[in-house]
Amino acid sequence: MSSDIKSKTTPLIAFVIVSFAIAGYFTGLQAPMKASSTESSLIVHGTENGRSGMTEAGVIPATHYANMSQATLSNRQQVQLTTFKSTVDPLAEIIIKPEDKLAALLKREQNRAFNGAPPTIPHPIDQRTDASCVACHTHGAKTASLRIPKMSHHFLANCTQCHIEKNSQQFTPVVFRESDFNGLQAPTSGPRAFQGAPPQIPHSTWMRTDCMSCHGETGQYGIRTTHPWRSNCQQCHAPSATMDQSLLATQPQFLPGPLIKDVDPVIKE
Amino acid sequence: MNSDLSPATDSIQRRQFIKATAMAAATAVAGGSNFTLPVLADDSVFLADEPASKVQWEKAPCRFCGTGCHVQVGVQSGKVVAVAGDKNAEVNKGLLCVKGYHVGAALYGKDRLTKPLLREGDVYREISWEEAIKTIADRIEAAPERFAFYGSGQWTIPEGYAAQKFMKGGLANNHIDPNARLCMASAVTGFLATYGVDEPAGCYKDLDECDVLIMWGNNPAEMHPVLFSRVLDRRSRGENVTLIDIGTRRTRTTEACQHYLEMKGHGDLAIANGIAYLLVKNGTYNSKFVESFCNFKAPNDENPNLHGKAISFEQYQALLEPYTPEHVEELSGVPADKIRLLADLFGNPDLKITSLWCMGMNQHTRGTAINSMVHGVHLLSGHFGTPGNAPTSLTGQPSACGTVREVGTLAHALPGGRVVTDAVHRQQSEEFWNVPVGRINPNPGYHAVQMWESFCTPTAQGGDIGTIWVQVTNPGQTLPNLNKLFNPKGDDKAGLEDKFLIVSEVYPTATTRLADLILPSAMWVEKNGVVGNSERRTQQWFKMVEPPGEARDDCWQTIAVAHALFERGLQGMKDQADQFLFEVKGTDDQPVPVWEWDHYYDVNVDEHLFEEYRQFTRLKHKDLAPYSEYVKARGLRWPVVEKEGVWQETQFRFAEGFDPYVEAGKEIQFYHSSTHDDRAQIWFHPWIAPAEVPDDEYPFMLCTGRVLEHWHTGTMTRRIPELSRAMPGGYLEIHADDAAQYGLRNGDTARVESRRGSLELPVWIDGRAQSPRGTVFIPFFDETLLVNDLTLDAVDPFSKQPDYKKSAVRIRKV
Repeated sequence: MSSDIKSKTTPLIAFVIVSFAIAGYFTGLQAPMKASSTESSLIVHGTENGRSGMTEAGVIPATHYANMSQATLSNRQQVQLTTFKSTVDPLAEIIIKPEDKLAALLKREQNRAFNGAPPTIPHPIDQRTDASCVACHTHGAKTASLRIPKMSHHFLANCTQCHIEKNSQQFTPVVFRESDFNGLQAPTSGPRAFQGAPPQIPHSTWMRTDCMSCHGETGQYGIRTTHPWRSNCQQCHAPSATMDQSLLATQPQFLPGPLIKDVDPVIKE
Repeated sequence: MNSDLSPATDSIQRRQFIKATAMAAATAVAGGSNFTLPVLADDSVFLADEPASKVQWEKAPCRFCGTGCHVQVGVQSGKVVAVAGDKNAEVNKGLLCVKGYHVGAALYGKDRLTKPLLREGDVYREISWEEAIKTIADRIEAAPERFAFYGSGQWTIPEGYAAQKFMKGGLANNHIDPNARLCMASAVTGFLATYGVDEPAGCYKDLDECDVLIMWGNNPAEMHPVLFSRVLDRRSRGENVTLIDIGTRRTRTTEACQHYLEMKGHGDLAIANGIAYLLVKNGTYNSKFVESFCNFKAPNDENPNLHGKAISFEQYQALLEPYTPEHVEELSGVPADKIRLLADLFGNPDLKITSLWCMGMNQHTRGTAINSMVHGVHLLSGHFGTPGNAPTSLTGQPSACGTVREVGTLAHALPGGRVVTDAVHRQQSEEFWNVPVGRINPNPGYHAVQMWESFCTPTAQGGDIGTIWVQVTNPGQTLPNLNKLFNPKGDDKAGLEDKFLIVSEVYPTATTRLADLILPSAMWVEKNGVVGNSERRTQQWFKMVEPPGEARDDCWQTIAVAHALFERGLQGMKDQADQFLFEVKGTDDQPVPVWEWDHYYDVNVDEHLFEEYRQFTRLKHKDLAPYSEYVKARGLRWPVVEKEGVWQETQFRFAEGFDPYVEAGKEIQFYHSSTHDDRAQIWFHPWIAPAEVPDDEYPFMLCTGRVLEHWHTGTMTRRIPELSRAMPGGYLEIHADDAAQYGLRNGDTARVESRRGSLELPVWIDGRAQSPRGTVFIPFFDETLLVNDLTLDAVDPFSKQPDYKKSAVRIRKV
């Protein structure tokens, strides 16, 4: 009999533990994030006795240095676990809202010249070394106010070769002369072979080998995966052969003459 | 929980209805702004029509520096919309730098020049191309000997070749020189003095193989980032590479290096001698290599010339005697121990050592000397001729090698490594061009600095250049000492009313501001092209989009002017058969009127010119393959030789097993040796102080240079919003202690004065790089802050290249 009870309680205990783990995991996932912004100002928590008025879910508020001496075990910001509690239901279905997707794509456009261009950097940088880039962007992170994307490619040692400040922090960022360049826009969805089929990846995967950089937990709403527990993306989502660009679709060709004549009305007359 | 799995069909329809409604709302909102994303494809649309799939991708080399990365250009609806690194390209293996990724936007600045403009007083009048061509033809016809062509390392090979043939084969006028004179002329003289023939023997493969990489006054982290990170990435993968930076300021490159040897200007001359001194003294030089493949040379002081005088090894040793590590420390500022470190590395035959350099050694009044000496250190130690062992100079322009050095668009040169002073070379060129014997003028024309000095001198005072035609470059910003060499053109009182400046350009620049005639040009993928990069790689592309308005190819402009002169009966524009110099035949063997823009693209003029030029390349064993081979390839490194029906490129020149022209059993063969014994020359040159050094009146040494975001004078990159916003303008880089002394803080305005001009600009302390005390740095990309108003116009005695890195200045707070 006792062995019976034991055999019934073991899965029960296991179930409780697993439930807690899953709940905890999704609490973390669902924490709302503000997109990165250069305007975000540093908030100093200077409320009475170090208690912060900030109640952003999922973020542990730190005790201000000035209040360290008065902080007691019961009155320390770090132990106020109540602020952890997320209002988001971890088991809720993740639905990609079109307006979220548009907003996410628009946001992406703001620091890229075209889809596929290396993004510019929306914050000040160390002008001479990569150490500080690597410190945050190797794994990526999120805080209440920041979204720090993980590198979408394998480690490359000269970050500023491709990524430059979006706006000079030293001088007034000006566009010396205006441009009419209209960059390639991001696709809004990948083609599906049939209704319900997993969509194909609608962009090149060159330098974008880590899908989770944009589509994972630190990604923006609207382009985040609906099923973050599945980690082998390309099992179902095939990269596009036409966007692979390893081989050119057509051999380079010499443009024949008539094309020229059509666009030069002065000569035509 | 598995929300991504398909639920029941009715559920799908309900969700789609909700989605569609939300989408319509979102689109309506978005419609208010300039945001015009296509409507979201919902789940019911299978195989959605992808906007990206309409993009046509084609290959082209990047428009910017001499690295020669291959890009894939995405074209949609007749416009360039995207650029990607080409994974098939050996040069860049799919990577680019930030300039390369944004190169497509360089075509679309709002102020593109689209009509020929003629200056009338203070205003420009739009004129027709016919009138523009006639105006140029009038100027040339009136005084062909007073006409000069100022070209560029950005000329494609066919463009440069056409200009070269027009001038030397047509007008019998040698006044043709390129901006590359300001950029790599000393590299050329260094190669010629050492090997008897120009251009690096190694290639980028050395970067994958070397154990030690020494950068001599070079900042590839910003200027050739693709090559630099090729080495850094090896280190990330766990390979052991030692990086050494010898330079005058601490840069991004320095931060990645294990050793930083900070030197004073011209310290490199002492360092190279110091290494050679220790190699000889310690007996660690490679005696077998030296005995088999090298001679020794020293400058001939009585009769200075590029080939100097032969000396013995003992004489060489005696000349090196003063250059002890301690003396070198005195001259260069580099600690003696660091000189010993370099000598120990060079003295170790097991290490593979590659040297890189660019403007630091070339823009140098002893540029020929230091180039020769770095080759010398490699030869003396035997670090030459095997993968990973190479002295390699980099170029800053996409075709400084291909067009300037190979086609020879220099005042003294003819195509294929020939010179105008050599009767045999002249005769060979006349034969290839089918022009009468004696057509080519045996006297070298004016080099860049002379040409502009003569142009800015009144005719009555001997300024015998009356008209200059500038193509693909911006001398109004890049010439040194602009107040002497360029600005007088705009001065009413300078007595230069009869001088006429023609500029073919894509944007208004510091040069067009003083132009009398401006011609709108096509650029990059708006035309066909062939260029040659730093590692002897010749690369080709086809036109992909139309140039805006009436902009036309530079090559067409040259041919159109030539034909106008031909029609007027100018003898020089005819060959021996009385045919037009640039006659091109179509597939039906009938001449095509390529001088009419309407018919320019009826045939591939580039291919025609390239095939004609190809004949010239055999003499110096720089053989090029037929044009069609380059269409298929991502560039090929010359000599390209046909073996068993396959055109094969050459990775390492002069090395047996790689170079098809090295005889079997020779191991290393310098088959163009200036001493005709298959040996290279190891040079001794003494340390000599810079042309201008700081003194009490002008206490700072001014260095000029580039930054990652901008390419040269910024005419293209400053019109790319991403690049301009990241690096908006010029600045003064100064040491924090010097700044404190003058009460300067970040963002303050400083006035910088030299003996030649002055400039006011913002201060940036501890910014992109750190200049040591007593030195300052100003980038030259900003056309509103022309640093070349300050620079010195002293030149190297052999290469005639100016030194932009060492001018004395003084500073004060404004």
